[in-house]
Amino acid sequence: MRPRRAIPLLAAFILLACADAAWADRIGDLSQTDWREQAKRFITLRDPAVRYALAGSVLLGMSCGLLGGFIVVRKMALFGDMLSHAVLPGVALGFLWNMSKDPVAIFVGATLAGLLGAAAVTLLRRTTRLKEDTALGIVLALFFAVGICMVTRIQSLPQGNKSGIDKFLFGQAAALGADDVRLMAIVTALAVVLVCAFYKELLLTSFDSAFAASLRLPVAALHYGLMLLLAFAVVVALQAVGVVLVSAMLITPAAAAYLLTDRLHRLLLYAMLFGVLAGVAGAFVSFLGNNLPTGPFMVLAASTVFALAFLFSPRHGVVMRWWRRRAQAQRIQRENTLKAIYHVLEVRGFAHAHSVSLHELAARRQCAPDAARDEVMVLARHGLARLQPSSGTIDLTQTGWQRACEIVRNHRLWEWYLAHQVSIAPDHVHADAENIEHLLGEEMVCQIEHSLSGAGATSDPHGRPIPSRADMQRPFGTRAAADVVDTKGRMP
Amino acid sequence: MNTLLPAFDFQQVFIEPWTANAASSVWIVAMGFFVATACGLVGNYLILRRMVLVGDAISHSVLAGIAVAFLLSRSRSSGAMFVGALVAGVITTLLIEAIHKRTRVKQDSAIGITFTTLFAFGVVLISLYGGKVDLDQECVLYGEISNVPVMAAPLPAALSRVAAQVPVLKDAGIFWRGADLVAPPDVLRMAGVTLLVALLIGVFYKELLASSFDPGLAFSLGINATVMHHALMAALSVVVVSAFEAVGAILVIAMLILPGATSQLLSQRLPVILGLTVLHAALSAVLGLHLGTWLNCSIAGAMVVAGGGLFGLAWMFNTRDGIICRWARRSQQRSEAVPPA
Amino acid sequence: MITPHSAPLPQTQSQPPPLEIHDLTVAYHQRPVLWGVDLVVPAGQLVGIVGPNGAGKSTLIKAAMGLLPAASGWVKVFGGSVSENLRRIGYVPQRESVDWDFPVSVHDVVLMGRYGHVGLMRRPTAHDHDVARRCIEEVGLVAFANRQISDLSGGQQQRVFLARALAQESDLYFMDEPFAGVDAATESAIIALLQALKARGKTILVVHHDLPTAREYFDMLLLLNMRVVAFGPTEQVFKYDLLQQTYGGRLTILSEMAEAVRQQSQ
Repeated sequence: MRPRRAIPLLAAFILLACADAAWADRIGDLSQTDWREQAKRFITLRDPAVRYALAGSVLLGMSCGLLGGFIVVRKMALFGDMLSHAVLPGVALGFLWNMSKDPVAIFVGATLAGLLGAAAVTLLRRTTRLKEDTALGIVLALFFAVGICMVTRIQSLPQGNKSGIDKFLFGQAAALGADDVRLMAIVTALAVVLVCAFYKELLLTSFDSAFAASLRLPVAALHYGLMLLLAFAVVVALQAVGVVLVSAMLITPAAAAYLLTDRLHRLLLYAMLFGVLAGVAGAFVSFLGNNLPTGPFMVLAASTVFALAFLFSPRHGVVMRWWRRRAQAQRIQRENTLKAIYHVLEVRGFAHAHSVSLHELAARRQCAPDAARDEVMVLARHGLARLQPSSGTIDLTQTGWQRACEIVRNHRLWEWYLAHQVSIAPDHVHADAENIEHLLGEEMVCQIEHSLSGAGATSDPHGRPIPSRADMQRPFGTRAAADVVDTKGRMP
Repeated sequence: MNTLLPAFDFQQVFIEPWTANAASSVWIVAMGFFVATACGLVGNYLILRRMVLVGDAISHSVLAGIAVAFLLSRSRSSGAMFVGALVAGVITTLLIEAIHKRTRVKQDSAIGITFTTLFAFGVVLISLYGGKVDLDQECVLYGEISNVPVMAAPLPAALSRVAAQVPVLKDAGIFWRGADLVAPPDVLRMAGVTLLVALLIGVFYKELLASSFDPGLAFSLGINATVMHHALMAALSVVVVSAFEAVGAILVIAMLILPGATSQLLSQRLPVILGLTVLHAALSAVLGLHLGTWLNCSIAGAMVVAGGGLFGLAWMFNTRDGIICRWARRSQQRSEAVPPA
Repeated sequence: MITPHSAPLPQTQSQPPPLEIHDLTVAYHQRPVLWGVDLVVPAGQLVGIVGPNGAGKSTLIKAAMGLLPAASGWVKVFGGSVSENLRRIGYVPQRESVDWDFPVSVHDVVLMGRYGHVGLMRRPTAHDHDVARRCIEEVGLVAFANRQISDLSGGQQQRVFLARALAQESDLYFMDEPFAGVDAATESAIIALLQALKARGKTILVVHHDLPTAREYFDMLLLLNMRVVAFGPTEQVFKYDLLQQTYGGRLTILSEMAEAVRQQSQ
């Protein structure tokens, strides 16, 4: 994709990233409650409901981040999505148990429904030719439809306390009670303890299940154990995030962490941290707006974290990579200018070293004198050259001269290598060397030098001398008298 | 628990929908049929191309497009909705591509991140401004197919005059309001979309087949697989958005997958599969209406459950690798394998 | 009568062979892919398993380790069952079988070789870390020990897998195409490593794709094409007619029967 096409994408991401802040302002206008007052209530934690909502958000962020890390590295995102939708009939059944929002009944029902969904997928895969994604899609949609039928049926029932069941669709952290939070804490603690205890085994089966099987690790048991923990995480997050968006809390914080670290244990830690961050931010924003659904706000907060990682992760971030590429392009540009100055000097046999004019450089670079002046100014900023304002001549510093020699040397070494060691025709080697000269590392240079001195060669396939290490140490513009200089000045 | 399953009254469940409530039942079933057919036809290709997850993603993320279109145009006009949904569909595919091609995040996670973000964005917009545009969160999830007949509007007078000459139509009271022929615009629009989808599949049958089966082969035949891909995504967005009001953003996934998956269990030839898809759509629409009437629950949900039931039957009883046939074959083998005493 | 200076018994009698396979038949989805394999591998040998695509080379080593269920036949490792001797078996899976973007370092992967010694729910000890470091050194990747595995070249990734196998400190190794997609330098480094292992008395079975190099690399060759065509010292087995039997002429009858078996059992 071209950078130009990426710009609207970036804009879209930034827009999404700003969404939280922007809506937070609007919510105050829309609902009757004063958002400042609400913010104060949230921050001071006066209200027990706020405390429960906060504790619930932290717990769900931890459990979702932890298990989501495995989802992302095992490429099971659709599985997480399936699981999160499939728990809905279980929620409804748990609600029907005694027609109230009983945390334990709902927990048991939702976990069972999730595991039933997972079993149904396995069964479909074993007994039909349907592919994995189709099987997951069927179970997801069908379980969700059954759940919707049950939820709408419950809502149409005349008796019972129906309030609360609809909160499971988009989540409502403010509806969490002490019982809910206690259960969430127990389940999260269980998940953390189990993952710590079996970390080594989970790591190995996730990375290389064939090798794990050869060690007779219980691969299948670990897989189903992980499914069970995943179902736990979904159920923990259910009330605050809602059935529809739980999968986002599994995937997004972990994917952001995946862009920031190269080790699984750190990935899990970061994912938990981001999950908690997103959970609390979402709970806060939705609390400002009084009874807005929590789930979407948590998801947007998590997406913001991901967008930041996507753009600014030191190693994988899009902006950072663009920045690195730009710095490299600028370096290559500088090196090309230095090389051109060297060539000008070389053509005239390194006489009158301090008198390379802008015009000569411009002619060599095939550009306007103004552009050549700009290039020299860039060199000057990097301490590689000086421009004498009165005479308009260019003077390389010692570093600049060394670098110029080095680049020409790299170019000619590579040409020599291609022509003599790889047996490529001498007229085919130049274009390749134009690129390689900027990339050749010290190690490669040493290797080529070794074979060069082994062959007793001192000049490139075009007959021009290859600057030696000693040349680079000499003052600017001087060369050993013994060096053959090709005064005809063919283009290198 | 007995409160969950109301008493089964044959009269109320199977007769009344076609007598007392015929006026609404016809349109609900028609809507369900068209939605399931259009979705099922497109969904067949999603399944063949292993792109079910993408279908899942687009059906979620069009919500953001719809919500933005509602807010900008301040109306439920279908034009704005289509544009919004198409834009959302395009943004979804571009974002997914950007994430999984430019970082090491794998495609499944990229899809998961993208659609949940857009969906959450849509839900936030609706929960903030929903009151103004008559759109609520429940509708987002499972639609309001039972509201479809309420909005029946008169058709052009010329059409009414032609219909008045047709004997069957003339006597069907449900289609008439005075001298005007009436029909809900949603159903008409969905029927149009369904016809369009069927037509496009007919016209581009071999191109779609080739590019779904083997993009390399398609390229050598001069078929641009990328164009086919984007065309399919566009068709998907249009189908999903026109189905949105009836079945919501999530049940539509079932409509996309179930008909195709059921048919692909029963046959391996694409023309037959497409035919079975239409049959599945019709059956699940009718059965869903009765199920929904009986349970007094979301009719769209009931249609999906009915479709799931049909899928279950196909799973059990199909002659190639159905569970029952497998079991029968195995027990037969076992009895044959018993050594003579 | 007991003589005080009796010569020790020949090794073949006192110690069971590292690997003994008897009449092993393996099926994938009811379709047999290996028929009646008999094999006795003597200790301290470097054995190449060669054969055309679909000959069942990977299947054979997976079934030998018990990763695939056998339709019939048995496998003995050092005279006992596979599960009794797990710690004496090392395994190098195909390089493509894992996701190299996985967030682990080279050291982490090599440490996985120690998991069989560590036991469930335990942490690797300092000794295990030392072993991992030594193995990384042995394959010449010390400079990369803390790098993420996607930073490595194909050849280096293969060496990581070999280091992990070394860390298992086993006596019998199964390697699935360790030479696939590696550069010439890595290939010679790997073969030197295998020779070093052999010198320590290890037995190594290597699935190998390239027939010309098979001749110089291995002490013994197993020619495989859905059944054992020949097994023996390389110079005896690397014969035109045997190779012709292995590679030339599709085994139409065998594969047709396999298909028939599959259809019948469905």
